[in-house]
Parts: sequence; structure tokens; C-alpha cells
Amino acid sequence: MKTLQKLGRRPIVLTAPAFVLLIAVLGIPMVQLLLTSLNAPAFSLSNYQGFFEQTSNVRVLFQTVKISVVTTAICLIIGYPTAYLIVSASKHVRIALIVLVLIPWLTSGLVRTYAWVVILGDHGLINNLLLNLGLISSPVPLIYNRLAVYIGMVHIMLPMMILPLLSVMQGIDTSLLAAARSMGAGPFLAFWRVFLPLSLPGIRSGSLLVFVVCLGFYVTPQALGGLGDAMLSTFIASQVASSFNLAPTAAAAFILLGIALVVLSIFGLDVSGSQGRAARATRKSLPSPLPSFAALTRFLKDLAAPYRAKRWTAQLYSARGDSRLSSIVGAVFVTLVMAYLLFPGLIVVMMSFSGGPALEFPPSSLSLKWYRAFLGDPSWTGAFWNSIQIAVTVAILSTILGTLAAYGFNRTSRRVRSVLTMAILAPITFPAIVVGIATYFGLLKLGLLGTRSGLVLAHSTGAITSVVVIVLATLANFDQRLERAAQSMRAAPIQVFMRVTLPLILPGIIGGAVFAFIGSFDEVIITSLVSGFDMQTLPLKMLENIRQEIDPTIAAVGSLLTLMPLLWLMILYATWWWSKSRLQQLSAKPPA
Amino acid sequence: MARDEAPKEKHVPVQIEFCGVTKMYGAVAAVRDVSLTVSRGEFLTILGPSGSGKTTALMLLAGFVAPSSGDILIDGKSVAAVPSYRRDQGIVFQSYALFPHLSVRRNLEFPLEMRGVAAADRAGRVTRFLDRVHLTDFGDRLPWQLSGGQQQRVALARALIADPPVFLLDEPLGALDRHLREQMQDEIRSLHKEFGKTTICVTHDQEEALTLSDRIIVMRSGRIEQIGTPEGLYDRPATAFVANFLGEANIFEDPAFKIEADATQPSGTLAMIRPERIRLAVATGPGRADTDQRQSVIGTVTKMIYAGPLRKYHVSIGKSVLIVRQHVASGQEIFDRGDEVRLDWLRSDVRFVSA
Repeated sequence: MKTLQKLGRRPIVLTAPAFVLLIAVLGIPMVQLLLTSLNAPAFSLSNYQGFFEQTSNVRVLFQTVKISVVTTAICLIIGYPTAYLIVSASKHVRIALIVLVLIPWLTSGLVRTYAWVVILGDHGLINNLLLNLGLISSPVPLIYNRLAVYIGMVHIMLPMMILPLLSVMQGIDTSLLAAARSMGAGPFLAFWRVFLPLSLPGIRSGSLLVFVVCLGFYVTPQALGGLGDAMLSTFIASQVASSFNLAPTAAAAFILLGIALVVLSIFGLDVSGSQGRAARATRKSLPSPLPSFAALTRFLKDLAAPYRAKRWTAQLYSARGDSRLSSIVGAVFVTLVMAYLLFPGLIVVMMSFSGGPALEFPPSSLSLKWYRAFLGDPSWTGAFWNSIQIAVTVAILSTILGTLAAYGFNRTSRRVRSVLTMAILAPITFPAIVVGIATYFGLLKLGLLGTRSGLVLAHSTGAITSVVVIVLATLANFDQRLERAAQSMRAAPIQVFMRVTLPLILPGIIGGAVFAFIGSFDEVIITSLVSGFDMQTLPLKMLENIRQEIDPTIAAVGSLLTLMPLLWLMILYATWWWSKSRLQQLSAKPPA
Repeated sequence: MARDEAPKEKHVPVQIEFCGVTKMYGAVAAVRDVSLTVSRGEFLTILGPSGSGKTTALMLLAGFVAPSSGDILIDGKSVAAVPSYRRDQGIVFQSYALFPHLSVRRNLEFPLEMRGVAAADRAGRVTRFLDRVHLTDFGDRLPWQLSGGQQQRVALARALIADPPVFLLDEPLGALDRHLREQMQDEIRSLHKEFGKTTICVTHDQEEALTLSDRIIVMRSGRIEQIGTPEGLYDRPATAFVANFLGEANIFEDPAFKIEADATQPSGTLAMIRPERIRLAVATGPGRADTDQRQSVIGTVTKMIYAGPLRKYHVSIGKSVLIVRQHVASGQEIFDRGDEVRLDWLRSDVRFVSA
């Protein structure tokens, strides 16, 4: 009894509801799948051997890793300069650019993939344009090849690279660069020796995020790639539907998970910490791993020293030409990146208003016929309402469980917290297809496959994670001394939470709810595995249509979904504005 | 000496008592075996460098951390297991901890509301306290719309408004600039006089401690180094640590240098003299009239620091360097680096401290 009471006072208990859900839907099935893949109770590696014995499997695995690595590298090469240019822009330009990165990030990946089908397809935008201009006589094969896969995947992943980079770069104290310059470092050297090392945590989390998401991703490669561009997740997904023997599929999923975990553990992922902590942590771990490499660079730096000394005296007090050229290059670069991110969505929106019998660009006449078709087709509206209902339920459930869990984490010792945080982050750090398989298996055991409750549970795992991450970040900025102050004024714990903590972290909670909603509303990979035949959601219906390429109504849906992020941003902005004005109102109101 | 002890002659009851309190963090003792008593209405300052355990001592008293062993009594009752929100105390936090989402008025109302004071009474009390801290027209502002000094005054008012018997201050003036700090010291002193609360203040600022307190506790690595009145501590430090932490001290560590002192001095191993107790004169000049009570030596100025109302000299004598402070006065001799000078001081001004 006493231990129970003691336990009740521990904040870690607050994480229990979230963990119960995660363990039931994801944790236990993961373990069972692992045992299945090992042929438990006999325990053998035959399924894994079987996987590697088929050369086609190995080829697909290698291809999956290669596509993921290349996509990550391209995202970093484009994303780093973009993030740097955004951070160094003036305040208004910076905010505008961040919004422009957020819009595609908040747009359904399915719609963005669809946009590339429309642009690159044999009867798509580019081919039509070239044909009309008479430059070509038959469509150029732009789609269903590796290049299209990279174009589409980089397009989808790029915001995921830019945003962590931005958050770290914005935390870098610009006076450090000024300090480096005052010590004689030129702009490039100041960047190389000061800014770049400090932005490493952003590079790390951005790259890891993109890489792991790529590993488990299959919608885009499937829609844009040819037969030779299949990813391992495509193979796994098709196996779940067709084969009754789960063991080989489970083995394939765990091989994919193994790769993800190896990469994650080598580079280490810290999504939860504030940027400052992340920056400090890496700085500590930076010097040690490659001592010989460090010695080499130090040697090279020493070699360069006499040259630098000579140059230093030569350039001392010499005026420098202005850097107009570099700023023009920067502006052009950012413009191109933004066009790449936003143009496909715009095309879908514009095409959806076309009045012709089929989709065309540019539209020869304007009409709302595809919207009418969408609203008049019960299979579309039904799917839409299904998605809305599920997403709202998911948002409510996961916001409550996630906020409780985040609060519990925030009040727990650092060691316990870091272990448990890794566990609760599993749904977004594991490849989506692995989570999908486990969820499928879990819901099968719970008898919830193909039901609405099942889908809610399936979506809630990832949604809880995003709520936890966002609320944790908000709590990290929350000054716990305010709670102590309230306590010292005789406020009991529940009063402290309701009167002080909750009002101050509310924007974070609402943000978490919005992301939970978006995550559920756009989810397609897990949904396609666990929805069965009865439950149709909007993304599933769209996926079906992208594959079959028959129903132009999808353009209208896509257009609606592209405009949705604007709604999200408005909600988030309104929340921020409301909490601010509420403060002012409160303060203006005379005490009751 | 009577002035080194609590003013017992007034026969005020003991209000706060620490009995052998120890607080361990893992294997490290933040506070080790601390025993002390605070009388009703007393202003006690806990002074120490960072890491000395002074903040932990305050947190123990506030109820935010529980002692690992020992007991804390308030009005004779053990509070070691009583959570903070069941104690009756007002705390001014370092950096104030004003609720950013509540107006100044609402901040002041908060402790009253938690104690179940009726709304009508609250409004009147808040207005009175706003007037008292000269913030009459600022009640509807949010904390960030106030200057540092104004925020500090809100924090003071908020801690006092519910009339708690115990008043705790955690580094109250650390965030303010020098000028404001002096103003706020006055404010705190007058509030203490007006409300007569038992006040415990934690600080690393010796000037704050000397000007505000009835008694000062100097802490060092979790232990109490010395307890006394400000004058008692400054004038009769028990250890070299206290001598150096409260003001500047010349401690004679060179055994070759013979110190003459009155036999009535308390025993200690090291001789110490305050820089302002030393007089400087031209080396070749005549000795003073009262030489029999003074020790006098010849040294060389190695450094002169100009500091407005005073000049600070470093004078080397053999292996030791003495710091000498001289207030600037008209007609006074000014020395420079390399000058030979005569130093002298009253033998009764020499103190002995333990290492």
C-alpha cells in the first residue's frame, strides 16, 4: 500500500497510459513478430538465411539503402545552404521563407507525389508542353525511372531536412561569428570553424530523420519508379496482403529495422532535447571518436599557419569589395528551392479548376466540375468523413495521453527519461513499414483489424509521439521556478498545474493536437495494411486513384489537401495570437 | 563576545531551527550537519560562494527538497516532511518567478486566492500593496512590461501580501545593476522594519549581507563556517576563508615576518589585518607619536590602483605583499610604483585567524 502511494506521487506514472497503448498496439506484437521471424520456440535463423539466399531480395535491400542514402545526401546538399540562407535573411523574409517550407511539409505526401505524376507523366505537364512546342514527337520517358524517384523523394523529404537545420541554426549565437571575425577569421573560415561545427546537431538529426523515413517509405518510389526501383517496404507490404506465412515477412521487416537501428545508434538521435542541450552534447562527443583524424587535421592546420600568418599581415586593414554577387547567387538559389518545393502543389490546385474532360495544364477553361464530382461521389465523401472522424478521435486521444506522458518525462530523472524517451519515440524513429507490420499483427490479435477503433489505435502510436515531442519541447522552455513560486503561495499540485503550467504550455499542446490530426489524416502506409476491406480513408482512396490514373476528381481532392496547410498555419497562428491577446485581456480585466 | 551571538537579551522565541540537517545528492553532501536557530523577526543572511550549499539550505527551508537526515522545526513543529504548499511562507525567487501570463494584480492576488481570501478583500489588499511598493498604476501590466526594479518590487509585494510569518529571499538583488541594488536594499530594509517578518536571505554578495542582516551565516562546502553579526564577522573573522570572503584581508603567511600583537587576541595560527587599517607614509619621514602602540615596517609600492574615492596599493615587504587602502583626502601623499613607503598599524588591529 505504501509503495503504491509512493508510486502515485511519482510523475513517471503519468506516462503509463501512453505506454500501455504503445505496448499493446506496437510493443507486444513487435516481440511476437521477432519470435516468429526466429521460428520460436525452435529458434533458427532460417528465415533470415532464406532472405539473404535470394539474390533478388539482397538486390532490393541494397537498392533500398542506396536510394535512402542518395536521397539523404541530396537533401543535405540542397537543404543546408537553404537553411543557412533562410537564417541569415532579414526577419520578415525569414518568416515568409519558413512558412513556405512549412506548407509543403504540412501537405499530404500523397498529394505531392500525385503532383509529380501529373508533371512527369507521359501525358503530363512537361511532355505536353514539349509536344505542343514541337520539340519532341513522342513523350520522353520522364517517369517510372530512378531520376523520377529521386525528384519525388527529395521533394517530400527536403522540408524534413531543412526544419531541424533551421531550429539548430537559429539557436547559434551570431556574436560567435562576429567574435571569430574579430580574431581575423574571414567569412568562410568563420563559417567553417565556428558555424558549421555548431550546426552539426541539425545536420545529424535532419539526416537521420530523412534516412529513416526513406527506409520505410514506399508510396513515392512505387508511384514514380519503374519495376527496377522497388524498395524493400514495397516488397514487405505486398507480402502481408498475399502470404499467410508471416515469418519471412517479419524477417525482412527486422532486417530493415536493424539497418535503421544501426544507423541511429552510430549517429545517435536526440529529438527530445532542446537545441542548446543537443549542441552541447555533440560538442562533448565530437573530438574523441577519430583521434587519428583529429591529429591529421591539426597537422594540416599547422601547415597552413605560416601561410595564414603571411596573408593576415598582407590583408590587414585592406578594404574588401562588397559581396553583392554572393547575395544574388543566394537569392536565386533560395528562389529555385522554393519553386521546387511549392510548384507541384500549385499545379495541382490550378489543374483542379480545369473545365476540360480530362486533366490538362494549363487549364483551357475554368470550372468547379471536379469539386462537384468530389462532393457528389459518396465513395469520396464517405472516405473524407471517415478520415475526419478518425483524425479528430486520434487528435483528442493522443493529445491527452501525450501531454500526460510529456509532463511525466519532464519531471523524471534524466537517466530514466532518456531510456523511456527512446521507447516512446519508436513509432517515428522506426521505418514506417515496420511499424505498419507490427500494428497489423497487434490489431489482428486484438480483433480490431479493419475497424475504426483499430485505425484510431494504429494512428495514435505515431500521434502520441509527435504530441510528446512538441509538448516536451514546450516544457523545456517552461520555467519550473514558476511552479515552485506557486507552491510557496500554498497552491496544491493540481492547482499549480491548472493555474500556472497548463496556461503557459497550452500553445504547445494545441500544436501537438494539430500535428496529431495531420499525422492521422495523411497516414497511408500503416492504414493500407490495417484497414481491411471496409474502412476507406481519403488517403487510401487517393492512393488507389493515383495507381489507376482514371479519376480526375483526385485533382480536386489534392487541391483541397494542398490548401489545408494554410488552414493549419492559420490555426497555429491564431492559437499563438489568442494566447497573447488573452493575456492582455486578463490583465485589462479588473480583478473580480 | 555578546555581539557575535543572537540578540538573546530581547528574549524573542526561536522560530526556525535546523537540527543537524544534511542533504545528500548521490554521494555529495550539499549541506552537511547544519544546526542553527533563527529568532522571530530576525534578518538572517546565509552568505557563501557558489556551491557552498546556501541555496540548498534555503530550498530545505522552503520545502522544495527534503533533508536526508536531521530535522527542521518552524515554531517548534517539524516540517521536514511538509510539502512547500502546506507551509506559510513568502519567497522572493532569484529572477523573481513572476507568472508571465498573469497581470501584476493577478500575480499579487494569487497567494491570497490560494489561502481562500474573499475577492473583495483581495482587491483592497492588492491595491494597498501596490501603493506600498510604488506601483499604483502598474497593476494591469504584464510582468515583461516592467523594468527589472519594478519586477523586483512586485516579487517582494507578492511574497509579503499574504502576511506569512517567514520571508525568504533567494539572491534577491543579483539581477539588478548597482544603482538599483542600493535602492532595493533600502526597500528591503524598510519592508523588514515595517512588517517585522523573520527573514532569511541567501546571497553571495558580501555587501548585501553586511548592510541588510542582523546576523550572517558564512557557509563553505556545505558547512557553517561562522555565525555572527555583520560587525562581528567583519571585525573578528574566525578563519582565513571568512576574512577573505567578507572584504579584503592581508594574511601574513611568511614566517620570516614577525608580527607584534596584543596578547589579548583570540588564538589562531595566522595573523591578519584589514587593508584599511594600515597607514602609508613617506619612508624617510618621522615616525608617529603613538609608536609604542604601532608596528611599523618599510616596503616598496609594486602597484597603485586608482578607484575613485580611494587608492589601493600593493606594497611588498620581503616575500609578502600587503594590500593597503587609502581614502583620498586633500593634502595626502600619493605614491607610485617603486616608491619606498613606511607602513604602520595599531597592534590592536591585528587579528588571528585559523587557516
